[in-house]
Amino acid sequence: MTFDFVEPVVFALLSIGVIAGGVAVVMLNRITAAALLMAFTFLCMAGMFVLLGAETIAAFQVLIYVGAITVLILYGVMFTKFSDGPRALFFQRQTPLAAVFVAAVAIPVAIIALSFTSAPPRPGGGDLIALATSVFTDFAFPFEIASVLLLAAMVGAIVLTKRDDPDEAALRRRR
Amino acid sequence: MPVGPFGIDPVIWAPLRLVVAVGLALFLVLNGALLQIYLERKIQAIIQDRLGPYHVGPFGLLQTFADALKLISKEDVRAQATDGWFFVAAPALVFCPMLASWVVLPFAQDIVGANLNIGLLYLTTLGSMTVLGIVIAGWASNNKYALVGGLRSAGQLISYEIPQILALVSVALVVGSLSMIDITRSQAGPFVNVLILPFSFVIYFIAALAETNRTPFDLPEAESELVAGWLTEYSGMRWGTMLALSEYGNVTVVCAIVTTLWFGGWQGPGVDAIPLLGVLWFTLKVYAFILVMMWIRATLPRLRIDQLMSFCWKGLIPMALVNIVVVAVLALAFPTTKIPIAIASWVLLVIFVTGIPVVQRRRLRTLRARARAAAAPAVRAAS
Repeated sequence: MTFDFVEPVVFALLSIGVIAGGVAVVMLNRITAAALLMAFTFLCMAGMFVLLGAETIAAFQVLIYVGAITVLILYGVMFTKFSDGPRALFFQRQTPLAAVFVAAVAIPVAIIALSFTSAPPRPGGGDLIALATSVFTDFAFPFEIASVLLLAAMVGAIVLTKRDDPDEAALRRRR
Repeated sequence: MPVGPFGIDPVIWAPLRLVVAVGLALFLVLNGALLQIYLERKIQAIIQDRLGPYHVGPFGLLQTFADALKLISKEDVRAQATDGWFFVAAPALVFCPMLASWVVLPFAQDIVGANLNIGLLYLTTLGSMTVLGIVIAGWASNNKYALVGGLRSAGQLISYEIPQILALVSVALVVGSLSMIDITRSQAGPFVNVLILPFSFVIYFIAALAETNRTPFDLPEAESELVAGWLTEYSGMRWGTMLALSEYGNVTVVCAIVTTLWFGGWQGPGVDAIPLLGVLWFTLKVYAFILVMMWIRATLPRLRIDQLMSFCWKGLIPMALVNIVVVAVLALAFPTTKIPIAIASWVLLVIFVTGIPVVQRRRLRTLRARARAAAAPAVRAAS
């Protein structure tokens, strides 16, 4: 008896987690529960990366998406007013249009995925050095572009939020 | 039939090993929490010229056991307006990442859960997951103090994570590996990393105090302003899991990181002859740092929230970035020797330690001048 059966089982559990979590995020009416389930989906994705032998990407997935982005979203949710009554979201009327778009993306993806015949790649484990080398040699330019873009977005956010409010300035002067 | 370690069938051994590992980690966490609470009380008592616990058992040693029994047997109280599942899930969300980080702590030469080649990254990742549980706890309690405590905690943890990771990077640059085992191995002999990178050690230790909510930075649970912060609505063993187990477990993990990265981990006299001696050295070093944290708690007052944030964003993060640039440049320029890095790091440390009072004094002077200028017309109008 060997442990070959473990990997497909884990993969199945993680896929159920990702899909069910994703569906629940979209369908749930309680927005805090949706945020928490989003963290769960991200965790399942990290598990997928581990299964593929990409531990570093899994670690960054958890570090950035679960540790930072979900917390940021929860922050936003907590400062948003919401009532318990059922609400119709503005995009819920476009169901047929959405179905067409989803089909346009999903059918080609499914066809391509089902037409794979080659054996699945065998990850060797330990992707850290390979990842670092490719980021800082082959992909150095896109990497820098991405960081400059993020920096610009950050500066923009600060400029947008730190407005000089005349009332507040007057209040400070009076104090 | 194949035979695994200890003559056990590998099919049974794999789950058995998991059970043993989790059981052992839980055992260590529970006992560590009991011991650390006792130490915390005794050390604060000594520093504040009191006796501390002394009724239960010799030297009050059994006091924390009695407290734990009381917590376990307490009624499970939950306020009516709390947010159902979240309220129950939050302690688990705080506890699980802490427990999971024990996997990569190297207790001795071969006593380690898993030799991950991304060990350091794994630890920072799990550290960042604690925030989620704290924010959820603050939200689910449906209490303004808890909510403010949770939000403060989120802001604090996210901010102080940055200098923490930046300090770890400089060690990874010098050692050339992220595996906890390799980092320990690279420090055989008396020249441990703290002599080469004292500045990143200081940055990490300050950030770690904030990350574990220890005293100069324990704003999320500041009693004088927030009752008990995000723990306000919790009681019984839920409170015990959150505060006692998770917080003290996190303190242990952070001190273990400090020990491994800067103080040679399990290395010590006599380890080559008797490898099990490493467990003793490792534990002693870890508890030395825990004692330092308790000493700091008994000594320093609490910061204000704006002081906390400005110290992180204007003080720690720029210095940590300077540290990385200097270490990286020197590591590239002198690949064979670590002496230039050591000199630069000590110089940076001296600049940092002597610079803080100067900057603070100037800042206070300008603040006072501004306050006086603002108050002058009001005084004239009143008289």
